[in-house]
Amino acid sequence: MKLLLPDRSARVLDMPPSTLEAILLGEGINPLEVIASRDGILITEDTVIGTGDEIRLLRIAHGG
Amino acid sequence: MDGRPEVPRCSLCTGPAVLFQRQSGRHLCSAHAIADICDRVAETIREESMIVPGDRVAVALSGGKDSTALLMLLHRLLPLWDGVSLVAITIDEGIAGYRDETVRSAELLVNSLGVEHHRIAFEDLFGATLDEYLKGREKEACSICGVLRKKALIVGAERAGATKLATGHNLDDEAQSVLMNVFRGDLSRLVRNSGSDSSGRFIPRIKPLMKIAEKEIATWLLLNNAWTDLPECPYSRYALRREVRSILSTLEYRHPGTMLHLLESKKTIEMRCAGALAPEPIRHCRLCGDPCSGELCQLCQLKKTLGR
Repeated sequence: MKLLLPDRSARVLDMPPSTLEAILLGEGINPLEVIASRDGILITEDTVIGTGDEIRLLRIAHGG
Repeated sequence: MDGRPEVPRCSLCTGPAVLFQRQSGRHLCSAHAIADICDRVAETIREESMIVPGDRVAVALSGGKDSTALLMLLHRLLPLWDGVSLVAITIDEGIAGYRDETVRSAELLVNSLGVEHHRIAFEDLFGATLDEYLKGREKEACSICGVLRKKALIVGAERAGATKLATGHNLDDEAQSVLMNVFRGDLSRLVRNSGSDSSGRFIPRIKPLMKIAEKEIATWLLLNNAWTDLPECPYSRYALRREVRSILSTLEYRHPGTMLHLLESKKTIEMRCAGALAPEPIRHCRLCGDPCSGELCQLCQLKKTLGR
């Protein structure tokens, strides 16, 4: 699976299907601070992410 | 993808869930998430009597996500109230590389909604941009900007003939403010209610998004194709709020409902303190004549400190 991070960098993860929440926590990201989409559709943190999925993350907490 | 695990489903229909409300354990699909957030904003306005028939509501529109969502939501809810009109006020503080983009975003929004728009620049009002004010004082950015913005918003709201001033503070912002006031030991600010003023000296401020989480607001904008990726204020790195935001966000994740409980605690303290704290007498600033609690208003005090 591939994570497209808010800073526009990408991270490829070699792991079995897991919930988005588990993946984010593993990356040190608080699930409340990002919104995730798969194939352009918003998904919730308890969605199970498959090995071939590409997940885009958007950081929502902005100062100003 | 074939064989992809089933996505969580909406608790109210069979649609795929796009929002998970952790405290209630409820999943919502796109249509129900949009409706739920809109309904809760309407309910907050009703419960707190924020808008009454005939009001002219000035929306503080920075062009960022919260104020964008606020203006769109109020515009949608407008048919609920008789004779209520909206006007948007945008403050251009003069922050290079940041404010131009959000001001553009604000202009696009008001044009698409057909809402009257007033733009107030620090440079016109105070004779200098925020960048100029902050030279060598960057660490004080938020407190200096706060005082200047407050004055600029009041001027904008008065020029627009507003009876209410609506700001886009969300649940996260409000919970952060409660905690920050506790950390500072500032009880009078903690219990201050800027939403009511029986004396008629101030335009009451209202916060219709105060019970909507930041993540819900961002989700609502994305679902309405209204999300714009905008730059972050370059001065926000100096803010205490940034640290409090991180602490609270972690607590909210581990203990869902924390932010709402903080808001409820503030309300309880307000009720318990009603009448117990001697109200600050309203005086008038010796230099500009604006109502204030001391000899000088915050703005004149700031100008004096900055030597302007």
